[in-house]
Amino acid sequence: MTENDRLLLNAYIDGELDPAHLLEFERRLAEDSALADERIRIETLRSAVRQRLPRATASRELRRRVAALTRRPQLLSTNWRTGWASMAASTAIAFAAGSIATLVGLGPGSREPVPELLVASHMRALMASQSVDVASSDRHTVKPWFNGKLPESPRVVDLASQGFPLVGGRIDVIGLTPVPTLVYRARLHVISVTELPLSRRASAPPHPIDGYNVVEWIDGPLAYWAVSDLAAPELENFARAFRAGDAEP
Amino acid sequence: MDRGDSSTRFANVVTPHLDDAYGLARWVTGNRADAEDVVQEACLRAFRGIGGFTGGNDRAWVLTIVRNTAYDWLRKNRSPAVVHVDDLEAVERMQLADDAPAGDNPEAALIARADEVRLEAAIASLPVMFRETLVLRDVHGLDYREIATITDVPIGTVMSRLARARRRVIDMLGADR
Repeated sequence: MTENDRLLLNAYIDGELDPAHLLEFERRLAEDSALADERIRIETLRSAVRQRLPRATASRELRRRVAALTRRPQLLSTNWRTGWASMAASTAIAFAAGSIATLVGLGPGSREPVPELLVASHMRALMASQSVDVASSDRHTVKPWFNGKLPESPRVVDLASQGFPLVGGRIDVIGLTPVPTLVYRARLHVISVTELPLSRRASAPPHPIDGYNVVEWIDGPLAYWAVSDLAAPELENFARAFRAGDAEP
Repeated sequence: MDRGDSSTRFANVVTPHLDDAYGLARWVTGNRADAEDVVQEACLRAFRGIGGFTGGNDRAWVLTIVRNTAYDWLRKNRSPAVVHVDDLEAVERMQLADDAPAGDNPEAALIARADEVRLEAAIASLPVMFRETLVLRDVHGLDYREIATITDVPIGTVMSRLARARRRVIDMLGADR
């Protein structure tokens, strides 16, 4: 079988032969058993590929990333990313996806509103052996820990002198978006403060959920949510102190 | 073209082909996470370039961008030999196995029994230019002309790569384990 025979055979099987070559080739196929055997092998391979290799489907997460970038293309660099920069960049996309998801009700990942998800994260953290992924009362330890995990480190303020010592930080996932959460203490109560990209204010003012108080405030492009079983007035005090706190070293 | 127009066109032209885009990227890069990064980058390029897309074959346009993006990724992340043309020529010179004897066609029987894992492994082991040609044809069902456009080679080269790719896979699957 010549090289040219092979090309013609493949083109024949793929329906790519023009009518003139087609008739001639079919005549040869009837006479040449080697050619006919090869045809069976190729057709067997083709049908095996078609039947057994499933067409890949883009994951929901990928679709969200793509949807997000058409709205916020400036978030992406055109350069290939490596190492933690890569991680940060892909998290940036998740951020964008997340903020859009908040607008439309958190997308297919969850139908739950943000406050409920934050309370759930808080409860989960309380049940875990540690409520934080990085345990430190030193904001100069906590803030850098977020570097490389999220596109931007959250604002970390020192409120120990006002009765709210820093416990540490963790990353929560709110509607498929990883977000930074700081953990403070007020006596024996734990306060989770989550920084979210601002999309819009909650449709209803925050209300207690399952015995946890929730406070939300806006600072520039970001929304902050504090969740705690601390009494509401005390949590408001904490929120005021956090807003007024100096984030610079 | 402002952002809104671009977004609408992107949704009409690119989004319908995300599965194909991911599928091709998956075959070229060999893994899911890299394929997703490639698709994301390709979509960004497509988004930026969509004002210049004059219409026609949407899928071929999208897959061309995905393919070029995937090759940029390969150049950056794989040894040069993977995409280097010398490697390709070495394969071009590769001696094809003798045809199996006529008759009961044992190779065809082995191919017919090959499971998904073996099939995928055999295709994955092809040099990338052969692999993409076979995948575009047999997985994505594109015709020769579209494949020639996407891979930026003459139709004759598509034919030759496809014939060799299939022959190689048949050799691998048809060999008794």
